[in-house]
Amino acid sequence: MDVGDELYEYLHGDSALSRQYRGETAPQPPHALDRAILRAALGTPVKSPCLAPLAFAASVLLSLAMVAAVILAPASTMRGSDAPRVTRVLYSEPADTRRPSQWLADIAALRRAGRLREAAAEMQRFHSIYPHYIVPSDE
Amino acid sequence: MAFFDDDVSLMLRYRDGDPDAFAALYSRHKGPLYRYLLRHVRNAGAAADLFQEVWSRLIAARARYEPRAKFATFLFQIAHNCAMDFFRRNAHSRRSLHGNDADAQLNEAEAPEDERPDRVAEFAEQRSALLAAMDALPREQREAFLLHEESGLTIEEIARVTDVPVETAKSRLRYAVRKLKNSLAAVTEAEPLPLRARAI
Repeated sequence: MDVGDELYEYLHGDSALSRQYRGETAPQPPHALDRAILRAALGTPVKSPCLAPLAFAASVLLSLAMVAAVILAPASTMRGSDAPRVTRVLYSEPADTRRPSQWLADIAALRRAGRLREAAAEMQRFHSIYPHYIVPSDE
Repeated sequence: MAFFDDDVSLMLRYRDGDPDAFAALYSRHKGPLYRYLLRHVRNAGAAADLFQEVWSRLIAARARYEPRAKFATFLFQIAHNCAMDFFRRNAHSRRSLHGNDADAQLNEAEAPEDERPDRVAEFAEQRSALLAAMDALPREQREAFLLHEESGLTIEEIARVTDVPVETAKSRLRYAVRKLKNSLAAVTEAEPLPLRARAI
């Protein structure tokens, strides 16, 4: 059978491959995730679309100011290590590459150990890196 | 408009403040989206994180939503972008761990977490011959197959979601179908089943 015919049959017919795939187990997301997402969907206030251009303009201005500060800084005020240090900051990798669920588990462990202040600081850092992540209510 | 389907109406209602509309949309798409992510990234923990991230992005962007395609295309486009970010992050983690010398052997289709014995075992438990054959596909071909099977996307829609030309999407799906058929035929002929998953 020509490859094109094979694809045509797959796309337009009730192919054996599709039937077999549909016969596989159909895992569903955990219920806790369902609840967290539905709660977030109901509780998040809608942001006004008219603020979007202002936010964009603000971030452009801030970026330009940072670039200007780096480029136009007087040479006399620079220490020898300033330039490389700025470069490192600008191109640094995210501070934490843990997956969100792993990070939340670590925070929960801190709480269980009674290290509440550290847990709160970690949670603040978590929110700064994953601002849209829906944290279950028991975290 | 052809893409003004039920889902688009629900999303517009949700955008305009109807919470029940979101619940209906979520109920309709959560299974296909979860399975797409689970079988695409092949890691249950990462799939759960990505699943949440996709819906979070959709919720955050709802005020700006305008129907320009089928809702499933919109949703899976977000999912594709999240998955790509995941693969990039993992590729970067791997480079950081192994240094630049490992770059030449870097296989982006495999995430470092996939190699963790606990994660592999967790995912392997549910593998069948077909799912094991899907694992062996290149990532792009596996994704094209999943997008068609889980969300019923056409070749044109798969191209749009994955941001490639239609011919590329068609070629990916064609090879995925052919390889899966061949793998399954080989399994049927061979006894006992020589599946990697069974050995784990």
